[in-house]
This record gives sequence, structure tokens and C-alpha cells, in this order.
Amino acid sequence: MGCRQFCSTLDCTAHLTINNLLMPRNICEDDSVLSNMKTKQLKYEALVKAYHADVFRYAVWLIKDRAIAEDVVQETFLRAWKSLDSLQDDAAAKAWLITILRRENARRFERKTFDTVDIDDVSVADQKQESGSMVEKRDLRVAIEKLSDEYREPLVMQVMMGFSGDEIAEQLGLNKNTVMTRLFRARSQLKELMTTNSPVEVKASG
Amino acid sequence: MDELTFRRTLYADPHTKNVDVMMQARQDPKKLAFWGELKTLDNDIALALRVDVPENLAQKLLLRQSINIESKERARKPWYWAMAATVALAAVLSFALITPSMDSLSYDALVHVSHSDIEVNKHGPLDMQTVNAKLANYNGTMTDGLGDILSANFCYLDEIKSLHLIVKGRQGLMSLFVLPKEGTAPVDKSFSNKKYIGLSFLLESTRVIVVGENESEIQSFSQRAKNTLSFSA
Repeated sequence: MGCRQFCSTLDCTAHLTINNLLMPRNICEDDSVLSNMKTKQLKYEALVKAYHADVFRYAVWLIKDRAIAEDVVQETFLRAWKSLDSLQDDAAAKAWLITILRRENARRFERKTFDTVDIDDVSVADQKQESGSMVEKRDLRVAIEKLSDEYREPLVMQVMMGFSGDEIAEQLGLNKNTVMTRLFRARSQLKELMTTNSPVEVKASG
Repeated sequence: MDELTFRRTLYADPHTKNVDVMMQARQDPKKLAFWGELKTLDNDIALALRVDVPENLAQKLLLRQSINIESKERARKPWYWAMAATVALAAVLSFALITPSMDSLSYDALVHVSHSDIEVNKHGPLDMQTVNAKLANYNGTMTDGLGDILSANFCYLDEIKSLHLIVKGRQGLMSLFVLPKEGTAPVDKSFSNKKYIGLSFLLESTRVIVVGENESEIQSFSQRAKNTLSFSA
């Protein structure tokens, strides 16, 4: 079977276009290789389109800086492309991406210097959504931001990403009971804060 | 299930399917009301967690990946493949043809510049703190004076991680790339294609590449870069 043109739209990536439109037949690689590349590319595009927003949102809450979060998301997806063959179960794609993201974020701290800004000056959530009726939401957002990382991260995973207790436990390397305890404490602290309207002062207690 | 366990279970997961929890809530209006409160709290938490996603993020991710792959493929393949890749990428990105004999860093810089429109921050210039946080990766700092910086993103030139700043110029967008000197292949001091002109120079141990469309503007932009950027060893 000879080489074929897989697509004719500019929506297709440069790489596929290069392979498919311009390579003379006598130097074209084996058709099955091209077919695999096309399948991989389509899978990657689907992954980006389906999960880029969730992965970015999660990154912002993890990193607390939008600009750095975007950089880490970019690294995450580039890494995902390289390892795409290892993703066997499409249903696990979101958890797989979050695993890569957390690893990429950890890599920032392994370097001699890394990019950071003062997180006290950064509000991670969308300020434009605020209105008079959103004051409570703003207070809640501040309270979530001030939760200790060990409480906030499982909460974000559960509420925003829709992960189960087992999935969170696997991501964080904890047992499920510990995860459920942290979720319990996170919510009870938030509820107490929102009920008493006391100054936001949230501390980890194990 | 005692009262404490009931509450702990719901605090841990207000959307639990635990049968004991459901039965207790059905039998006790107060417990049912408590469950309702926690579901409301969870909805509020979900709203509070909302974050705006940058425009074109998916497009940017796909484009960066395709350029990255193209760059790697070009490095691995013989000259005729590289030439084919050059022509195809030029067609896809709708910019003028690049001289195939150009060194890899210059080539990749021009490829990235060609999609600057997608990268720029639609909400206006970045603050210097954000830019300097990224420059810190290269032991660099920048003072005001380069111009309005519309984007500061990491990208790969010939597989070397670089910082790409996009700056508003008098006649279009200007680009400045920062990358380590070590590990990078030689770069022409000046290069061009039919649309863009690029200059490359060293500041301490760091390589800087500037690219723009206008020759006189690129010279003054280059000078401003030298005046505002500094790198420690």
C-alpha cells in the first residue's frame, strides 16, 4: 500500500502535513508507521481538546500562579505526547495527565533556580466573576486558598476534577482513609469559617 | 452508623452513595437537612474553584507540540526531508519561505515568531514581576524599557528550552528569545527570510536572539534589549 494523503485541512498538524503531503513516494516511510503516527496525533489532539481546561485549572490551584501554571501545562502535554503510547486506558487519561502535571511541577523545585512569585499577591481564581452577590464566594475562595496544601489538594481533586477517593489516594500516594480524613477536615474547616465568618486562619492538624 | 460517622462520611464526600448514610437521612429530617447544607457548600466550593482558561490554550498546545516534533524530525532526517518539512511548515503557518541552509536555532526562532499572534496575551502587557520570575531560570533580570511585553512563554529552539518574549513594536510584534549559550549550536549573528530579520548576540553566558520585521526597528530593539537585560554567571 502506498503513501496516502491523510487530510487536506490546515487543522492537521504540521508534522502530519509534512509526512503526508510532501514526501516523495520513494522516500516515504512504511505506511504502517505513518498510520501509527496519525493515530497517535489524533489521540493527542483529542486529549488536548478534552482535558486542557481541567488540567490548566488544576495547575492554577496547585501552583497558585497562572503564568507558571501555563508553562507547566505546556510541559505536561509535551511530556504526554512523548509517553502517549503508555496510556492504554483512555478512561484514565485525566488522572494520567494530572500525574504528569504533578511530576512536572515537582521538577521545578529540583532545579537550581526556579520561577516563582509571591503567592500572597496572587489570587488564583477568576476575579472577573465577582459581583456584590459573590462576596461569600470570594470569602470561600480565600478560605480555600489558605487551606493547607494537604487539605486543599484532595479537595480540588474531588470537587473540580471529579476524582474518587481511591483515585486521589493513588495520586497522592496515601491510603484512602487518610484521604477521606483530609477531605472531612477540609470541608469542616471551610464550613466553620463560612458559618462563623471569622477571620480566615486555617491550619493543618494532621 | 453513629452520628459522628454519619457526619464524617458526608464531610468527606457529600455525594456519597453509602447506603447507611442514605437510610439514616431518609429517617431523620435533621440529618437530611445537614446533607443538604453540605451539598450546597460543595456547589459553592465548585463555583469558588472556577478559573478562567486562557484563550487559545488548546491551539497553543497543539502548535507548540507540532513545532517541537517538526524540529526533532528535521534534526533526524536527511536534507531532502528537512527541505520538505520547511516548505510544509511554511505552508501550514502561512509565512514566507525560510532558507533551508539556515542554522537550526535561527530556523526554529523564525517558526515560533510566525505564530506570535496566537501567543500574545489578550489582556494587555505582562508585569515585570512575571517576566523576571521566568528570566530567573536563566539567572537574568530585566528592567523597564524594552516595551510592552505581551507574552513570556517557554518554547524549544533546536530542543533547547528558551524563553520567548513577544513585545509590541512600532510596526508589528517583536520577539526576543533567551537561551543558555552552553549546549546550543552556533547561531548566525544575523539571519532573515522574506518576512523577518533576526539578530543573535551574547549577554554574559546567555544567548539572546531578537526577531522583527523592520530592519531599523530590530536594531533599536536589540539595543534596548542590551540596555535592559542583565545576566549573572
